[in-house]
Amino acid sequence: MAMYIRVKRMKTTYFIQCDPTETALDVKQKLFALIEQPVSNQRLVLMSTEEILEDSKSLADQKVENDAVVALTLRKDDNEFEDVNIAQPTDFSIS
Amino acid sequence: MTKGAEKKQRKAKAVAEKKETTTTTTTMRETVKLISMEGFEFVIDREAAMVSHTIRSMLTSPGGFSESKDGVVTFPDISTPILEKICQYFYWSLQYSRGKETEFHIEPELTLELMMAANYLHT
Repeated sequence: MAMYIRVKRMKTTYFIQCDPTETALDVKQKLFALIEQPVSNQRLVLMSTEEILEDSKSLADQKVENDAVVALTLRKDDNEFEDVNIAQPTDFSIS
Repeated sequence: MTKGAEKKQRKAKAVAEKKETTTTTTTMRETVKLISMEGFEFVIDREAAMVSHTIRSMLTSPGGFSESKDGVVTFPDISTPILEKICQYFYWSLQYSRGKETEFHIEPELTLELMMAANYLHT
């Protein structure tokens, strides 16, 4: 394992082992094994730059580094992708 | 069937079989789910979770813990940021054991809680 990334959606974080030479599509295929959502219904957004990752480009080319946080969004019923939604634990604390 | 065609077919079959084994290994790649105090879920590789002796014994003890069957471990005493830091530590530890020497950064405000969790997890 050369590195890992943290893929987040709502209250779940997936730690995905990957290599900088792998493409975003490779990552989506790994996610498919976990969430059973086809790769075409997945969109990955690098949180540090808010850029949408392109399937064909490698992670290194898209500045995705070790320990990076990537948001996962899924295609909704109306064929559009949902907005980035990452829950924070503070959302639930009683202050 | 000519000899050439037969050979081709055999080769195609071998390729198909090889493909099949690689897909099974990816689906076989086991993960476990760790759940924090606030109900946040962290899905990590089984080998990473095994860095913790406590989680290892939960996952491997025969018949004892229900965790060993479904691979879900709930930590009602560990907050989400701490549990995330612990998961990061597991992966750092794997990378480190494979010869990659990097620092593991810990925010000062997390230190005490993290030490208590690490003590509990035998990490």
